[in-house]
Amino acid sequence: MALSDIVRHRSHLDRRFDRIRALEEAGQLTTPTGSRALRKFMNNRLAVFGLIVFSVIFLASVLAPLLTPWDPTRINLRAISQPPSWDHWLGTDKTGRDVFSRLLYGGRVSILVGLGSALASALIGVVIGCYMGYVGGWLDAIVMRISEAIMAFPEIILVLMLVSIVGQSLVNIMLIFILGGWCGIYRLVRAQMMSLREEEYVQALRTFGLGRGLITFKHILPNTLGPVMVNITLSTAAFILQEAGLSFLGLGVPLSIPTWGNILNVAQDLSVLQNNWWLWLPVGVVISLFVLSVNFIGDGLRDATDPTQQG
Amino acid sequence: MADNDIALSVRNLKTFFYTNNRCNKAVNGVSFDIRKGKTLCVVGESGCGKSVTAASIMQLLPRLSRIEEGEIIYHSARGDIRIDTLPRNGPDMRAIRGADISMIFQDPMTALNPVFTVGFQIMENLRYHTALRGGQLRDKTIDLLRDMGIPLPERRVRQYPHQFSGGMRQRAMIAMAMACNPRILIADEPTTALDVTIQAQIFDLMATLRRDHGTAIMLITHDMGVVAELADDVAVMYMGNIVEAGTVDDVLRRPTHPYTRALLDSVPVLGRGKNQSVRAIPGSTPDPLDRPRGCQFAERCTYRIDACDQMPSETQMTPTHRVMCWRHEELAHAPR
Amino acid sequence: MLTFIVRRLLIMVPMAIGISFVIYLALDLSPGDAVTRMLNPERTPDPARLEEMRRALGLDAPMPVRYWIWLTGVVRGDFGNTLTGGVPISRLLLDRLPATLELSVVALFLSSIVGVILGTISALRRGTATDSILTVGGMIGVSIPEFFFGLVAIVVFALHLQWLPVGGRLLPTYDSYWDHLPNIIMPALVLSIMMTAGVMRYARTAMLDALSREFIKTARAKGLPEWRVNLLHGFRSALTPVIVLIGFRLPILIGGSVIVEEVFQWPGLGSLFVQSVRNKDLPVVMTIALLTVILVLVVSLIIDILTALIDPRVRLGT
Repeated sequence: MALSDIVRHRSHLDRRFDRIRALEEAGQLTTPTGSRALRKFMNNRLAVFGLIVFSVIFLASVLAPLLTPWDPTRINLRAISQPPSWDHWLGTDKTGRDVFSRLLYGGRVSILVGLGSALASALIGVVIGCYMGYVGGWLDAIVMRISEAIMAFPEIILVLMLVSIVGQSLVNIMLIFILGGWCGIYRLVRAQMMSLREEEYVQALRTFGLGRGLITFKHILPNTLGPVMVNITLSTAAFILQEAGLSFLGLGVPLSIPTWGNILNVAQDLSVLQNNWWLWLPVGVVISLFVLSVNFIGDGLRDATDPTQQG
Repeated sequence: MADNDIALSVRNLKTFFYTNNRCNKAVNGVSFDIRKGKTLCVVGESGCGKSVTAASIMQLLPRLSRIEEGEIIYHSARGDIRIDTLPRNGPDMRAIRGADISMIFQDPMTALNPVFTVGFQIMENLRYHTALRGGQLRDKTIDLLRDMGIPLPERRVRQYPHQFSGGMRQRAMIAMAMACNPRILIADEPTTALDVTIQAQIFDLMATLRRDHGTAIMLITHDMGVVAELADDVAVMYMGNIVEAGTVDDVLRRPTHPYTRALLDSVPVLGRGKNQSVRAIPGSTPDPLDRPRGCQFAERCTYRIDACDQMPSETQMTPTHRVMCWRHEELAHAPR
Repeated sequence: MLTFIVRRLLIMVPMAIGISFVIYLALDLSPGDAVTRMLNPERTPDPARLEEMRRALGLDAPMPVRYWIWLTGVVRGDFGNTLTGGVPISRLLLDRLPATLELSVVALFLSSIVGVILGTISALRRGTATDSILTVGGMIGVSIPEFFFGLVAIVVFALHLQWLPVGGRLLPTYDSYWDHLPNIIMPALVLSIMMTAGVMRYARTAMLDALSREFIKTARAKGLPEWRVNLLHGFRSALTPVIVLIGFRLPILIGGSVIVEEVFQWPGLGSLFVQSVRNKDLPVVMTIALLTVILVLVVSLIIDILTALIDPRVRLGT
């Protein structure tokens, strides 16, 4: 027995290595086929957990009519503020509306606002970023200044300021979010454009005579896909939290349309906080879970699409 | 060879990497000696395991890898030290690093910390391995920079790496590595990132070090020209094994292994004229996770026979010259 | 160095002025003006009388003139009066400022220090249970809506356990300054915890990035002890991005304090802002918005200067 066997201290890493080596030498390991990014994502337990939770909540909202017989806006003054029961799984609120169905239908709007605004601002940001990043010039400089000006506002200040001017409505809120949201992706894409523009393979493509537009969209854009997707997930999380906060304050989506934040609006009343937990606690938990799942997915995407990370 | 001629012995070293949950046998049974005051050049293509060997000696391997088997014996003035048994960042290993065995890396721009001055980084080495303090550190650092051929060292000491040119940065790195007069200097492709003219200067510098300080040098390179210039001993690596090793005379004048011969054939020689045959080696290195059975070079080898399905054993052709090939007899006598 | 600052100012000042112009424009274009809001909504006003009032207040001048008057006032510290009471806005802001400062400064320091420490630990113990717990904890921290966290805190600590007051800052029964310490605990903690989670994630990423650099290998190759390699070489290199990222957290801090002040009825600038939005008191809304923007711009300038100070590459202009 060599000196090394006696002296070496076996850590848990060592044991893991031993296991892998044994498998390898038995010929049982193969190089996996298929998309590496997908594999990495699926191996990330948190990301998969996030995906599952996200899907559950998403589907529950979309399939709301199938899951609850109650109309979320139907007032029933004979069943005010009832705690959870078999009839009303999460009880009723101050005007007799079923909380569970409001949760599900409210999810539709919240997710629409969150995901929709994120996707729309990503679309706008990508288009503008691509064009400006490649073209450059004074137009690019102006748009950069504009985006810097917008980004100088803390989000909530910007949003509330605009709300106080244009008033509250579902469309207004989404438009305001998009106005504040396109800047991030724009700068991301623009930076990628500018750095890749100078890369050798792009220059090679140009010597082949490929037009700028083609190069931009077919060759450079796929490289930005990873960070853009990550950004979309993180924006979704941010927008959902924002909408919840705004609607909680009564300054977001109008109270007539149920959203997760709107439902929580009643929690501003201390007696509700103390006595009617079913009116606010489940909604808050659902929001947190949903945003958490989106964050897990975003992190998983980031790890999966980052080419520099080791296994 | 007498034992007190040798500074470092490596015996059957195996270093495996465990990234992506696979076992990559990057170094798969490598043995060599570094003779005191001599230069050993380790040659091979990218990915053959030369840098991993160096990292194993210095115990600077990444987290997801380990020295699997083998011995690394450092013959120090205090006695023989089994480096492979030392804990990676323990006090013993740290005492050896920088003071007994030093290493310089390929790209001095990334290898030096950009937020600290060059002087600071050299003085760090001195502070941890010598008893020098205060002004002595500065003086010694300035001397080192001057010895390495950096002009105006008093000013340079206070400057940051990005204020140096490429060649000067590498000199500064060498100064840092030589600060404590190590017995062995490991240089991992020190000039790959530099211009050819600067390369020549750096190698002159290394020759001077060897002469003036008696430092043994382990030089890792993929450039056969450098080997011809500087080497006393040569080891040719392919896919984690040393396929041929010997003195520079043995390997360059009497190359035996097909890979060595192919390498030499692929390098144009100044003076042979434009009609000299320069042949690229066909094929490419196999996937380390999907290795062929037997000799790793067989699939690209023009001398391949059926026996090559078995890994050749190492044959000591002369006291200094060894090779891993079944057909070494014929090849030793074949014309080039 | 000086040229660096001057150059940045040359960009910042026009941008601030530009933003102020857009803000004033929005203010101007919104329906109604100072005069209509001063009137009794019950009575239909006499148009001629309205015109007279406008002329008296100088509201009939062309927009650029009015903008200039407003701008010069702002620079002097005179923001005009609120619509809902005619109180000078500057006085109102100064009244509310200490409360917000108390909360934000505490949260900023606490979250920066704790966040950086935890993030660094997380990076150094990468892959271990500690890292996993901290990372997941951090993600939970940024996923819970701030107001919800505040509500839960109120329910648990104020309503059920009755350890801490429900909200507000200074009650009539308080004598000395320190009496209101219990009031500050919950809002400060809620704000801090949210911020810390964010800082921690960024610090971890920055630290991991720094530790993967080549010069870390060189430092080890010199035989330096691990603590020095990780902290002096690793952390110091991560410091620049960490400081920049903390600077970027400022807008989030401001946003967070708006919500936290509302939830805890903390009488600071944040709750004033919300109140003004509810009352459609646009002058106040715009003024606060403008001031926050200026604050963010100034802080980003300070961050840039700090970065230049500690990172020689930036300072010496390569």
